[in-house]
Amino acid sequence: MIESKRQRRMIANIATYIVLASLTVFCIGPMIWMFLTSLKYEADIVTQTMQYLPSRVTFDNYVAIWTQSGFPRLIGNSLVVTFLTVTVCVVTGTLAAYAFSRFAFRGRDQLMLGYLVVRMFPAVMMIIPLYVVMRGVGLVDSRFGLALAYTSFLLPLFVWMLKGFFDSAPKELESAARIDGSTRLGAMVRIVMPLARNGLVASSVFIAIAAWNEFLFALMLTTGQGSRTWPVGLQLMVGEFQLPWGVLAAGGILSIIPVIVLFAIVQRTMVQGLTAGAIKG
Amino acid sequence: MATLSIRDVRKSYGSVQVLHGVDIELEDGGFLVLLGPSGCGKSTLLNIIAGLDDTSGGDILIGGRSVLDLAPKDRNIAMVFQSYALYPTMSVARNIGFGLEMRGVGADQRKRAVEDAARMLQISHLLDRRPANLSGGQRQRVAMGRAIVRDPELFLFDEPLSNLDAKLRVEMRTEIKRLHERLGTSIVYVTHDQIEAMTLGTKVAVMKGGYIQQLDDPRTIYERPANMFVASFIGSPAMNFLAGRLVPDSEGVQFQASGVSIVLPTRNRPVDSERPVVLGIRPEELRTVPRNRASIMGEIDVVEPTGPETMVTVQVGEHAIIARLPPRFAGRRKEPICLAVDPASVNLFDPDSGRRIDI
Repeated sequence: MIESKRQRRMIANIATYIVLASLTVFCIGPMIWMFLTSLKYEADIVTQTMQYLPSRVTFDNYVAIWTQSGFPRLIGNSLVVTFLTVTVCVVTGTLAAYAFSRFAFRGRDQLMLGYLVVRMFPAVMMIIPLYVVMRGVGLVDSRFGLALAYTSFLLPLFVWMLKGFFDSAPKELESAARIDGSTRLGAMVRIVMPLARNGLVASSVFIAIAAWNEFLFALMLTTGQGSRTWPVGLQLMVGEFQLPWGVLAAGGILSIIPVIVLFAIVQRTMVQGLTAGAIKG
Repeated sequence: MATLSIRDVRKSYGSVQVLHGVDIELEDGGFLVLLGPSGCGKSTLLNIIAGLDDTSGGDILIGGRSVLDLAPKDRNIAMVFQSYALYPTMSVARNIGFGLEMRGVGADQRKRAVEDAARMLQISHLLDRRPANLSGGQRQRVAMGRAIVRDPELFLFDEPLSNLDAKLRVEMRTEIKRLHERLGTSIVYVTHDQIEAMTLGTKVAVMKGGYIQQLDDPRTIYERPANMFVASFIGSPAMNFLAGRLVPDSEGVQFQASGVSIVLPTRNRPVDSERPVVLGIRPEELRTVPRNRASIMGEIDVVEPTGPETMVTVQVGEHAIIARLPPRFAGRRKEPICLAVDPASVNLFDPDSGRRIDI
């Protein structure tokens, strides 16, 4: 009886590991493949028989993409757009989330629901009206315009996430601070924000990664080198007759480095924030 | 130190009215306890005094000055919360000094004030810790330290002891009383615990459904409750109620119910005819007597010795009443028991309205 129970648990464990391992391969595999490709000579990439591990290693692809294309410019634009998006979201979203969390005003629930509805429609549907609006105010092909476009669909997400974190901070703390001499805003900045710090970091990183990787809006709303971001730039390098696989792979690897670095720095805070939100929010 | 006047304060949330014209006057240095079951409006009233909630009507005066237009920080009050509401990201010292910090008090003066308050509450050794590393009783002391360090005109306590275990609760209750006597600052204290109300208050407001049921000193509330709600809410075990009728008698009036016959002295008007009433007797007013002097005859149902006394549940007619008898009471289940009560200690209530009847 006991024997069979243990056996059953063992089988379940093995099954779990198989599933997890295959999912991991599925997710990480392409990235490893991309990394290996970026280290190969062009001649070793397109071969008759599949060459898994590079026989000769070269960093030419990295040098090529950094010096012979507008790649540094693309990365710079992406950094600016991401920074602007996160700044706008954090400043306005924090205030909005706090208001949603603490004040019972008319239309609050409807407004929150409205935020969700925005997320329901596919991005393709929003792009054309957004393009028309952007053109009207002269923000097409500008980094600020692109950041605003990202804000339009990332801000609702940010507010929803952060509201959960604010909700889990006890209201009595602010009451105490207000009696102790703070204003409402002061209580929010001094007492609630430090408490919701993990949530704020988690939500901001989430927004930053989404803005960094975004492709569709960037493709539609940027036309020139001045504001084009890396996902679009990389895609445009795919020529009609030539596919520079090695260079593209190197560009891909370079582009995910900021995300990996960012995640490594905030990983602990972010995981704490996300799990706290999952339980309490 | 200041007086507190609550004048016709009303509060409604949408169509739900939670406070119906509350009037309370508290003398300078007084200790007002707002007592009632949950949902009676006592915490709402406290939040209104603190300025955390708006009124729908009426006025609040602290030291003779209306404070309705003032923000909480400008009312010169301090509050202790049920959850203590200590700032988790700050040390104990900074928690206590936060109010002074917000008011721009210099670091040296602040440090001295925090140390004085900590000494008074015996938490000097905890000043560098974070609230998360404190026990419930220690957190409670820190919360009180944060309140007293500012030397406000009025203290507000919102069920401060309800998160503590029984032993600590008694200890901290004494501490609060000592603090009040030492500082002499007026206090408003919300609780649903009638023992806290009796032991601490100089004035107790018993509330129910947004109305003040009775506002009096604790002794009057205990001995002469205004209605059956107050009578049953205060005292443990609760007051015994016996439904019967008043009958005119040569010596005054007589209360009669099955198994009960008590002659009551009348002070003012004699009762003209029979009328139904409810008789209220505190369990400790009952005592065992020989059969010929008994006014209540019943049968013992349950005997519960608690140590200092014995609680005896007695079946009298269709009523079950509880008597608080001496520890060595020897009766057993199913035995007959004869009880008497001092007629001056009983209360009469109208069975329909529940209000007290004075005869």
